[in-house]
Amino acid sequence: MRVLVVEDDPDLNRQLVQALSEAGYAVDSAPDGEEGFYLGETEPYDIVILDIGLPKMDGISILEQWRRADRNMPVIILTARDRWSDKVSGIDAGADDYLAKPFHMEELLARVRAQVRRSAGHAKSEIECGPLRLDTRTARVTCAGQTIKLTSHEYRLLAYLMHHNERVVSRTELVEHLYDQDFDRDSNTIEVFIGRLRKKIPADLIKTVRGLGYRLTQEPDEA
Amino acid sequence: MRLNSLAFRLFATAIVSTMLVLPLAGLIIYSVYRQEVEEGFDERIRQLLTIVHADSIDRAEAEPGAPGQVGEPLFFITHSGWYWQIKPLAGAPGQHQVSPSLATFVLPSPFEAGVEPDAQGARWMNAGGPNDQRVRIAETVYAFGEEKDAPQYSIAVAGPLDWLDARVAGFGTQLAMALTLAGIALVAVTLLQVRFGLLPLRAIENGLAAIRSGKAARLDGELPAEIEPLQQELNALIQSNQEIIDRARTQVGNLAHALKTPLAVITNEARDDKSQLGSKVAEQARLMRDQVNHYLDRARMAASAGSLVRVTEVLPVAEALQRALERIYRDKGVAILLECADEARFQGERQDLEEMLGNLLDNACKWARSSVRFKVAVRRPEPRGAQPRLIVSIEDDGPGLSEEQLRQIGKRGLRLDETKPGSGLGLSIVGDLAHSYSGSLGLAASRYGGLSATLDLPAA
Repeated sequence: MRVLVVEDDPDLNRQLVQALSEAGYAVDSAPDGEEGFYLGETEPYDIVILDIGLPKMDGISILEQWRRADRNMPVIILTARDRWSDKVSGIDAGADDYLAKPFHMEELLARVRAQVRRSAGHAKSEIECGPLRLDTRTARVTCAGQTIKLTSHEYRLLAYLMHHNERVVSRTELVEHLYDQDFDRDSNTIEVFIGRLRKKIPADLIKTVRGLGYRLTQEPDEA
Repeated sequence: MRLNSLAFRLFATAIVSTMLVLPLAGLIIYSVYRQEVEEGFDERIRQLLTIVHADSIDRAEAEPGAPGQVGEPLFFITHSGWYWQIKPLAGAPGQHQVSPSLATFVLPSPFEAGVEPDAQGARWMNAGGPNDQRVRIAETVYAFGEEKDAPQYSIAVAGPLDWLDARVAGFGTQLAMALTLAGIALVAVTLLQVRFGLLPLRAIENGLAAIRSGKAARLDGELPAEIEPLQQELNALIQSNQEIIDRARTQVGNLAHALKTPLAVITNEARDDKSQLGSKVAEQARLMRDQVNHYLDRARMAASAGSLVRVTEVLPVAEALQRALERIYRDKGVAILLECADEARFQGERQDLEEMLGNLLDNACKWARSSVRFKVAVRRPEPRGAQPRLIVSIEDDGPGLSEEQLRQIGKRGLRLDETKPGSGLGLSIVGDLAHSYSGSLGLAASRYGGLSATLDLPAA
C-alpha cells in the first residue's frame, strides 16, 4: 500500500513517514502544497495524509483539484484548525476523514487502515480469502488458523493482493503501490517475493495470469 | 414618557417656561389695560367737569346756575352712576344743585375733605355714592369775584367706579381664558414638536434593532444633520466590533495551529521513547493538549460574547453537518434524519452554532446503531412579541446512558467510554456555548434507546 504524506512541519512529517513505514506502507512525502499536489496527481496512491495549512498551496485547494481531475484515492485531512466549519469544508472538498492535531499515531494508523479497506470494498477489519485471514489491525496473517511469519515486504505484497483479491493485479500496479517513488522499477523483486509467498501459503492461491499479472483467489484451477 | 428621557426634558422645559411666561405676560397686559381704561375714564370725567363748569358759570352773574346741554344722557337717569353737583361752599349764597340722576343724594366734596388739586386744578377722590355705589369724583372750586372773601362753589362730576371695575374684571377673565387656551395649545404643539423632532432617534432605535436581529448590517437612511455623526460613529463601531471579532478568531486559529503541530510532534516522539521520561512527557503533553483545547474554546467563546449579535440560517448549517458526518461515519452506515423548519434562524454566530450542533451530532453518530434523529423547530412563546426559541433535538439509537452517567456527563473532559475517539470536551463546550447565548443543553434518555440531547437557543 502506498501512502503520500503532505505535511510542512519537518518533525511531524518525519514521524508520519516513520510510523507509516513501520506499519508496512510505502511512503512518499512532500514538504509543501505544490509538491504534494504534483505527487498526488501523478502517482497512484492508496491513501493520502494531507495537512490543510501548507505553504505554496493550501490543502483544501489541492484536494478540490485532485477530485476535479478524478483522483479518487482516500484522503485523510490533518489540521490544527478543528472547528466544525473547517471539518465541513474539508469533507465538502472531498476528504474522506478528518483528524485534528495533536493526534495519537495509533489513531491515525487505524483511520488509514479503515480508509484503505473501505476503498478496496471491505467493510470489516479482517479480510478473508479461502483459508487465509488478514487482520488489518494487528497486521497478522493466518492460514487455517496458523500464524504465518512474513517479512515486511512479503506482508505488504500479500496484504495488497488480499485487499484486491479475485482481481488481476499487474506487476506495474504492484510496483506502484508497494514501493515509494525512489524504487528501481525495472528490478524483478516482485517475482522474487511472489515466489517466497507461494512457499508460505498454499501455492495455488496466487495465480499467474500470463501477460497480465497475478490474482489471489480461492477458486480452484480452471484447468 | 419616561422621566429620564429627551422627550421629557424638552417637554418639561417647554411647560415650565410656558407656565412662567404666560401669567407674567397676562399680568403685564392686564395692568396696561387697566391703566388705559382708568385714564380714559378720568379723561371722560374731566371733560364732563369742564363742560359742567363752563356751562354753569356761563349764564350766571353772582352764583353758578344749573348747566344746560352737557351731552350726557346718563345725567338724567336716576342712579346711573354719572352725576354732577354744584354746591356753595362755606356759607356762600345760592342753591345746592345736582343732576337728576343723583336725586336726593349729596356727594362729598374733595375740597372739604382736604384733597389737594392737581396741575389742572381738579381735585380727585373716590367715595360712596347713592345705593352703595362707588364713584370717582372730580371737583373744581370756583370763586365769583377776585376778592379774598368772594363766595366759593364746588363744581363736581362723578363717574361709576363699579362700571370701571366691571370692565377691567371682564377683560381680566377674557384675558385669562385666552391665555389658558394659548397655554394648552402651546403644550400640544410642544408635544407634537417633541415627537416629530425626536422621530429620527426612533429611526436609529429601529435601525439598531434591525442590526441586533440581523436584518441589517449597518444603520442606513438619511438622518438630520445633528445626529448624522452619531449614525456614522455607530456604523464605525459596528464595523470595528466585527473586525475585532474576526481578528480575535484569526489569532485564536493561528495560535491553535502554532501550538498543536509542535504538540503532535512531542506526543509522537514521547510515545516512541519507552523510558520514564518518555511516558512523563507523553502524559504532560496530553494535559497540555487538553488545556490548549479548553482555553482555545474559551477564547473563541469570549470573542463571540463581545459580538453584536448576528443571525444564522439553521438549515444550511444543519445540511452541511449532516453531509459531512454521514461521510465520516459512512462505514458505520449511520443515517442522519434531518427535520428542520425552513424559517429556523439562530440569533448568534454561525461558527458557534456549527460547534454546538457538530459536537452533539458527532457524539450521536459515534454511539448510534443505525440512525440519528436531528430535529430543529422554532417555538414562539405567548404572549406574542416575546423572543422565539430554537429547539434542537438530537437523538441516537445507541446504548444510551444510565441515570448516574447522565449526571456525570458534561463535566469537563469526562468520558464514559475511552474506547470511542474524541477528547471528551465536546459536551461541556456545547453546554458552555449554549449558556453564553442564554440557552441550555438538556440530556435525557431517548425513546429510540440512546441519548437525547436538546438545545434551547435564542431564535431570530
